Amino acid sequence: MTIAAPPTPARRRNNRRRRHGTYGYVFFTPFLVVFAVAIAAPLLYAVYLSFFQDRLVGGNVFVGLDNYRQALTDSLFRAGVGRVALFLAVQVPLMLALALVAALAIDSGRARWSSLFRIGFFVPYAVPSVVAVLMWGYLYGRRFGLVSTIDQWVALPDPLGRSWMLASIGNVVTWEYAGYNMLILYAALRAIPTDIYEAAQVDGAGEFRKAWSIKLPAVRPALLLATVFSIIGSFQLFNEPNVLQSLAPSVVTTSYTPNMYAYNLAFNGQQFNYSAALAVVLGAVTAVIAYAFQRSTKRTP
Amino acid sequence: MRRRRSNALTAVMVLMLIYTMLPLAWLLISSTKNSSDLFSSFGLWFGHGFHLFDNVHAVVTYDGGIYLRWFVNTLLYAVVGAGGAAIIAALGGYALAKYDFRGRRLLSALVLGAITIPGTALAVPTYLLFSRVGIVNTPWAVLIPALASPFGLYLMRVYAADAIPDELLEAARIDGAGEIRTFFTVSLRLLAPGFVTVLLFALVATWNNYFLPLIVLSDPDWFPLTVGLAHWNSLASGAAGSGATTVSFYPMVITGSLLAIVPLVVAFLLLQRFWQSGLAAGSVKQ
Amino acid sequence: MSTKRLIPAVLLAVALAACGSSKSTTTTTDEPVTLTFWTWVPNIQKTVDLYHQKFPKITVKVVNAGQSADEYTKLQTSVKAGSGAPDVAQIEYFALPQFALAKQVVNLNDYGAASLESKYGKSAWAQVNVNGGVYGYPQDTGPMVMFYRQDVLASLNIQPPTTWQEFEAAAVKIHAANPKNYISTIDPGDAGGVDSMLWQAGSRPFKTVSPTEASVNLGDSGAGTWSALWSDLLSKKLVDPAPGWTNDWWQGMDSGKYAVWIAGAWAPGSISSTIPDTNGKWRAAPMPQWKAGDNVTAENGGSSDAVVTTSKNKAAAAAFAQWLNSDPAAAKSLNDNGLFPATTALLNDQSFLDSPNAFFGGQQANKIFADSSAHVATGWQYLPFQVYANSVFKDTVGQPISNGTDPAAGLKAWQQRIVDYGKQQGFQMTTN
Repeated sequence: MTIAAPPTPARRRNNRRRRHGTYGYVFFTPFLVVFAVAIAAPLLYAVYLSFFQDRLVGGNVFVGLDNYRQALTDSLFRAGVGRVALFLAVQVPLMLALALVAALAIDSGRARWSSLFRIGFFVPYAVPSVVAVLMWGYLYGRRFGLVSTIDQWVALPDPLGRSWMLASIGNVVTWEYAGYNMLILYAALRAIPTDIYEAAQVDGAGEFRKAWSIKLPAVRPALLLATVFSIIGSFQLFNEPNVLQSLAPSVVTTSYTPNMYAYNLAFNGQQFNYSAALAVVLGAVTAVIAYAFQRSTKRTP
Repeated sequence: MRRRRSNALTAVMVLMLIYTMLPLAWLLISSTKNSSDLFSSFGLWFGHGFHLFDNVHAVVTYDGGIYLRWFVNTLLYAVVGAGGAAIIAALGGYALAKYDFRGRRLLSALVLGAITIPGTALAVPTYLLFSRVGIVNTPWAVLIPALASPFGLYLMRVYAADAIPDELLEAARIDGAGEIRTFFTVSLRLLAPGFVTVLLFALVATWNNYFLPLIVLSDPDWFPLTVGLAHWNSLASGAAGSGATTVSFYPMVITGSLLAIVPLVVAFLLLQRFWQSGLAAGSVKQ
Repeated sequence: MSTKRLIPAVLLAVALAACGSSKSTTTTTDEPVTLTFWTWVPNIQKTVDLYHQKFPKITVKVVNAGQSADEYTKLQTSVKAGSGAPDVAQIEYFALPQFALAKQVVNLNDYGAASLESKYGKSAWAQVNVNGGVYGYPQDTGPMVMFYRQDVLASLNIQPPTTWQEFEAAAVKIHAANPKNYISTIDPGDAGGVDSMLWQAGSRPFKTVSPTEASVNLGDSGAGTWSALWSDLLSKKLVDPAPGWTNDWWQGMDSGKYAVWIAGAWAPGSISSTIPDTNGKWRAAPMPQWKAGDNVTAENGGSSDAVVTTSKNKAAAAAFAQWLNSDPAAAKSLNDNGLFPATTALLNDQSFLDSPNAFFGGQQANKIFADSSAHVATGWQYLPFQVYANSVFKDTVGQPISNGTDPAAGLKAWQQRIVDYGKQQGFQMTTN
């Protein structure tokens, strides 16, 4: 039985925490070690590399900021960044809208077979992107694929042609990740306590009103999280265009996305240093945009 | 709650389901075809024969059963990598949430910033670094990067802050339990749903991991399934030149892809219950 | 629950990691030696097993580290890092100069390669010579041949074209009969294919002048001849700029949508294993000529086997590579595997030349291959960084090809890209 009269609770709690502060280090150390080896070290090494150039003739040379200067004036790099920015602006909202509609539909309980849909929509996420592109590669085939069959009745543009390639890639990415995002949103919806609904019902709110005033606000944090991850993912776009290359080699160029450019520079051109500089710039751009997005949607709680 | 069934909504959902399943239908049907059928019949309907079992046999026995080796590798990377990542993230998140130590805020911000770094940006330097140390082409090159999950740390920190009341920890301390003992007897149980969520996300991420293993591994013996299938795929598209392909890789790539998807889908079906509750708790608290 | 599976998995991981990186450091041939051989030739284990029977003390571990550029990347970086590189590696002819100049493969003259010159066809030998040294043993070659669908041409009463003018006339006929069909395709992503065409047309665009100087001219007269014809073919839609080796393309090859494929002698192996339905429907003929009566051909593809400089068993590696590519039993085994030989022994062997090929409806196709091999034009070279150059082909020349416009503009862009890269890498670049 506790007897002593407690001092102000906040201060007391702080004292307690600080007393056991050293254990914080103990628990945190494993992560710190792994983080240092797997993330910090490569990052620092990349920055280090970016200040040199290792040439076929002449060997390793210190070049200061030359690689960065080149990166900022590289038209291929800028085109790639522009491309993923465009991709981001269109694909992310579309995919998340799709995910939201599906989540709301399933949550409302007004569609039949909702568990079938839930699993079905999620399955593409379990498919490796290499396989996803293989399948869509067939479907997009203009000569013998599904597109060619449909083309006999309804004129379709060439999905692997210059004008539609980005959209076709967007379609594959949406196909892969919509279900995953849907589940994140659905889980948030499921966490809404039912008494809120009962109160709304009593107030006479219809289905749409409920969705608008209750569900959407509740889903907001999850939606924002999904958006930030999709933004980061879009800037990193690599797997899908890389595998689609073989189907449309001249459309998906070696610098189609910034990541592909960095990869090809390093592995076909042995230009590791410039590749590292590009990676650092790309990382910075991604971080800035993701952070800006987060700030702009911050609400006072 | 009243649930009036809406046929319109169901119809829309069915359309979405068709969109989702269409490519997989092609994969399934194509797995029953041999090479001549693949290139002479309509993609979304069957060919002249049923060769699924022949294809499966070819996939599983080619090159001394390397496909099975890839499967085991993938399991290894996923279980050890994802399992390790979840444990490390849980420990770290617990530390950030429940302890006040110097540099906590700085470290927390650093880690959060790390989430925005494109993984692919790190791949090339990671390769070069590992190359210097001499661990390229070994499982360590794949496992070590898999163990660091800043996103997992973030999730666990949020979850731990919410799910473990300080009072409970205080009570344990008053009873004389050490910090580590407290973690195992009190906190772990409360962290379980969040832990499972992080574990499952990490599992899928490592199962589908492609880019980094592609770069750091050169011996097919260590490939995970994703890299192995891409490898067969590029052999199938034998670029002009030597090493004439007298083996048709196309049916193997397709059937191999089908076999690679099945376990993950089954695992998710079986573990549904767990990740739904974990997701609910984890994603709502921002 | 999870620890039970975790511990064995971890132990397995540690055990496997320990086993995976054994390296042999013995130098005498009496002690057992393990060599690592990177190659992407499928089923080559059969040939390697012959070697194991002959020299039981030597074990050759066959590893498929990727095909072409995929393997070269790993090879370059592992040699640079000093660890993880194989002892012997398959390297295509176009990439060999790059490795030779970077001193990443061994000069086989040090192992008596010069004495083997007579064993190999002239064009094969020329392709492994870089700056006076021999850097690889020729494994196979790809003398160019025209493969055509007998049934398709016969149904339209077309004779297999012997000149490029006849080729265009045939193209017109085929496309007019059915707008969905074409005489052939041209792959906007295949640098090697266009290189071979330029080679035959007399162009010599690439030169490695010295270890620090290179020259590129993709606008010479040979290139001009080639691009004039293909500009015509592309703009009149007489050829289909379809990427090769895709689902679409194979379906087209199977259905007869494409009547002709001009490629190296290795092509029949790919056709018969992928679309076996068409066995017996194909015939071989010499590739079309620019001047009636000429007999000028080129090589398309082909690899050598080289010894890597970081190898700890160079002598044993050289001995193995030499055996693989000159021993009659090995050569026969490789040939059975679909590789077209580089050795004069097989190329001159009467029974080889006379054997009827069921794939070609009984035609004695080897005669045509051997004849092509004997007439490969001389003087062709590659750049010291051809791997890079080929990787940006699709970004430059591939554009007008897929757009159906004049490839000459693309060749110019390719040249510029090559010059820029060369300069950045410290080479002195000329464009005459």
